Amino acid sequence: MPLMTRTMPRFARRLTTAGLLVSATLLTSCDKSITDLEPLPPLAAASVDAGAGTWQMIVLTSANQVAVAAPAAVTSDAYKAELAAIKVAQASITSAQRAKIDYWAGGGVLRWNQVLRGLVAKYNLPPAPRADGSYVFPDANNPFGDPAFPFANPPYAARAYSYIAVAQYEALKAAWFYKYQYNRASPTKNDTGIRALVPVSDLPSYPSEDAVLAGVTVAMLQTLFPAALEEATKRGADQREAALLSGKASSSDIAAGLALGRSVATLVLARMTTDGTGNAIGNATLWAALADSARARGETPWLSLETPARPPMLPVFGAVRTWSMTPAELVGARPPAPYPTASQQMKADLAEVRRTTENLTKEQRAIAQKWNDGAGTYTPPGHWNDIAADHIRDARFSEVRAARAFALLNMAMHDASVACWEAKFKYFNPRPSQLDPAIRTDIGLPNFPAYPSGHSTFSAAASDVLGYLFPSESANFRAMADEAGMSRLYGGIHYRLDIEQGKAHGDRVAAYTLRFAQSDRAQ
Amino acid sequence: MILRCLLRPRRVVSAAPSSLSLALRTLFLLAGSTSMLQAQSLDDAIFMDKRILCAGLVYTREQWTDYWEGTLKRDNGNIGTVTTQQAAFMTAYGITGRLNVIASLPYVTTKASQGVLQGQSGSQDLSVGIKYNALSTPLTSAGTLHVIGIAAVSVPTTDYTADFYPMSIGSRSKRATGRALLSFQGHKGVYVNASGSYTRRGNVTLDRPAYYTDGQLFLSNEVRMPDVRDMMLTVGYQRRGLVVPVTLTQQRTLGGGDIRRQDMPFVSNRMNFTRLDARVQYTLPKLPGVVLHAGGSRILDGRNVGQSTGAMVGLLLAGKL
Repeated sequence: MPLMTRTMPRFARRLTTAGLLVSATLLTSCDKSITDLEPLPPLAAASVDAGAGTWQMIVLTSANQVAVAAPAAVTSDAYKAELAAIKVAQASITSAQRAKIDYWAGGGVLRWNQVLRGLVAKYNLPPAPRADGSYVFPDANNPFGDPAFPFANPPYAARAYSYIAVAQYEALKAAWFYKYQYNRASPTKNDTGIRALVPVSDLPSYPSEDAVLAGVTVAMLQTLFPAALEEATKRGADQREAALLSGKASSSDIAAGLALGRSVATLVLARMTTDGTGNAIGNATLWAALADSARARGETPWLSLETPARPPMLPVFGAVRTWSMTPAELVGARPPAPYPTASQQMKADLAEVRRTTENLTKEQRAIAQKWNDGAGTYTPPGHWNDIAADHIRDARFSEVRAARAFALLNMAMHDASVACWEAKFKYFNPRPSQLDPAIRTDIGLPNFPAYPSGHSTFSAAASDVLGYLFPSESANFRAMADEAGMSRLYGGIHYRLDIEQGKAHGDRVAAYTLRFAQSDRAQ
Repeated sequence: MILRCLLRPRRVVSAAPSSLSLALRTLFLLAGSTSMLQAQSLDDAIFMDKRILCAGLVYTREQWTDYWEGTLKRDNGNIGTVTTQQAAFMTAYGITGRLNVIASLPYVTTKASQGVLQGQSGSQDLSVGIKYNALSTPLTSAGTLHVIGIAAVSVPTTDYTADFYPMSIGSRSKRATGRALLSFQGHKGVYVNASGSYTRRGNVTLDRPAYYTDGQLFLSNEVRMPDVRDMMLTVGYQRRGLVVPVTLTQQRTLGGGDIRRQDMPFVSNRMNFTRLDARVQYTLPKLPGVVLHAGGSRILDGRNVGQSTGAMVGLLLAGKL
């Protein structure tokens, strides 16, 4: 230290200057902006999938179950007036309109999937307890209340993702049917004075696929997320406006698409609203019966570890209608009973959870958080939609093929959800922290029975479907599913058996979806 | 309090912001040859003399049961009372009597009294700051006015998780803080400090690919951290080996979302608070290089933080190099 004494004043000045400079730089320089959405380049589909009007329908009886009237001839004055209106609109496009065009150019199916993931994350919050320790269930007739409607928990979300994807897929197949029946080219092809502001293919434009998507999706969201209707309606209007301004569709293309989309939604909603979800919450008598049944079998029944104790999440969701399985097939695919709660195997599995959580590595904690997908997130099915979206984007799927991919993925995950919940409430098996209160979790503890693991079931089913759609990546998807499964052991909320049996269960369930996929004429 | 803000642990709902700052303020220093006690921190007006080194440990314990979910005050049976304990190593050095360097590194543990959430622990963020007395001038016959500038930076020392509030031990955000401080030191031992700081916070990276906050789903693992400012007012009294400051602090986070109804808190939440704290620091008359410190704090009002009550004790040793 004495060495520095002579030079101290200069050193001190330099240090002060340097310190102030560094601070000033840090305070003013770094760019903190982040991209909030997955980047989507303008969609230039690898194929127009001209035959999609003949692909297998799921809810509709045929692609032309909803009638779409023939359009006016391209030589008609009415159509020419539509083209003239596009030219006028294109001559004065505002920056806000340009932003809408760029946003929707990324692909309507992919964009709506992003929007849906956002809505699930927004509404995936459990009701708060009231002062007397009770809970109020969300009310569809009071969606803005406390609690808000819906509580978009994993089963609700899996169902919502699947119904919206299937509705979009059905509507687009119908649109493709009429597009090639009527063969009306796009405005840019009918009038060289209209600029193509996005990639425009040879796909006929009547009815407009963008308007079909806007119509069907907004109508589905109105039932699934009623409090988001205003936002969804605005987005749908933006999508239609972008289709017109970009030169993809004329006003009659859009009007026909919107009507078709809405009609298809009505048919799909008829199935959805009678699928049994309305009874999935059960009641106090039923909840008590679940515990009594477990005790009668000599088992320790699941208990809510929340304070105050919360009723289990959707105990009757296992009776909800699936996409690809009969009730008998659902029971047939059910995993075998877990280890008895008093057995040595259960004690060993329980000890493994405690050992793992007490010696958690940084890598394991990161994996637990990566796949946490708990309250306030887009849920495990949303996570797999997130993964799928990147591959669908990179494969440059047409709108109808993208819709097929999301439909197959989400049909499998909805079925996995129903099957998993059926098994969970059949066995009513306690979580690790219930049997050993010393077990602390590094993620939130789900408020429903442990066996089998929902994450594992969802993830195995999703990886099977994605592996079918993108065969070169199938090993990757399986590795992700394995990691997702193990994340629940690292998080301290599942035994190893839950994970292994959950994945096997998910595989059995996905086989039903894949059986449909392999014969849907879309290959 | 440049450092105070800089170093403030972001852990817990509470942001339990006071512990480190409190601890920092416990940095004491003996003014070497004069054997007169002085205290030293990055948010006060006291400077160590040239070539005086001070180092020590400060233990802080804070806990809260009530917290603000956005602006709604509530408790939560799934966490009960959250306790944050912190042991911080601190050191300060007088390059000159007008320029000091201060550094600090805390070890933090968190624990919830109810529910199943795992407490977290680990070495948190290393902070280094400089404090410069730019101007000292007599003001009236009653005392002297000092104009002081402070600059500091803080970086995480381990990869603790920032994605597990309220149990996380910090935000894992790199931070840079600037503070301007005016201090009037009266001849009769009463002093008044007023200061304001601005802290720039770097983005935080999560281990998950998406998160929802502030009304929006972000399809990214990167979280934009809003900047933070604070204002502090201290009234204190010093006489012989005793210093007694009482401080009111108001922190405002310049952006970020509220905790949603029945949601977990999130690293970039808009964490605001008003806190009152009081301390006593005492230099042993027979051991002028040994400084004892004790204090308490209470959050009076807040948003997206726990209503913490804190207590601290510290022991610092100082001497001439």
